[in-house]
Amino acid sequence: MSSKELAFNSKYMNAMSCHEAVTFMLKKEEGKISFSQQLSLWRHLAICRLCRLFSAQNRLINYAMKQRHEKLIALSEKEKREIIQNVLDQNAFS
Amino acid sequence: MNQTLPEVEKAQRFKDWVLTYSDMLFGHAVFRGFDHDAARDLVQDTFYLAWKNMDGFEGKASVKNWLFVILKNKITDHYRESASQAAVFVSGHSTQFDSAGHWAKPSYPKELTVNLSEQQDRLDFQTILEGCSAKLNTIQKAVFFMKYMDDLESDVICRQLSITVNNYWTILHRAKVQLRACLQKNWLLIQNI
Repeated sequence: MSSKELAFNSKYMNAMSCHEAVTFMLKKEEGKISFSQQLSLWRHLAICRLCRLFSAQNRLINYAMKQRHEKLIALSEKEKREIIQNVLDQNAFS
Repeated sequence: MNQTLPEVEKAQRFKDWVLTYSDMLFGHAVFRGFDHDAARDLVQDTFYLAWKNMDGFEGKASVKNWLFVILKNKITDHYRESASQAAVFVSGHSTQFDSAGHWAKPSYPKELTVNLSEQQDRLDFQTILEGCSAKLNTIQKAVFFMKYMDDLESDVICRQLSITVNNYWTILHRAKVQLRACLQKNWLLIQNI
């Protein structure tokens, strides 16, 4: 954000910072912002390209998180034997 | 002899459980953001509890479901423990913003060309997402996975982790901003190869 934009932002936009805008974007995902906060966020996004870029990346992350799936990975035979051994030993001396 | 025989049988059945279910449980723990060693320890703890409670189990649910319930409780315990140590972490200011709360120049978000409907992009993006989320600290992972994978609401997460709402938003904010920076950096890196 240029210094000109910054000055404009703090003068007309209720001085919402990018840090706060991120908070409101996250709260909005849960529907936990008021209407006036929503308006402030829109106004901030209207003039802040960086936060618009953040918002786009944020949506990408949220979407990709939903697409995560468990991979088929295995413990080694040695680790499995150790688990059996450790549990049975622990039990014997407890 | 009559008294030792069931013990032998019990141990044999226990061994079968470990051989049959440990990979599934391990895979789940890794999926929930634990590294190899931590995931293996969680699996061992799960089986330890299962062994101790084997007599009380006897077919009330499927073995697999029962083991998963134990593992999930273990994971929540682990998360909660890390949350109780997170007070130090949530104070202090993120370096990605300047003192006025605007993006610091090295952290400027940039335009990324990602098309998740294309297979190569999707695979690359998922790989980077895995690597970057592995770098979050335990409490960040806890909040992040509970929110975006389990679809839990903030009040439920706060209750389960015993954290305040303010801390929740701070942790989530920090996690998201950090993950985004890591993704952008690595995405631009592979785009330029």
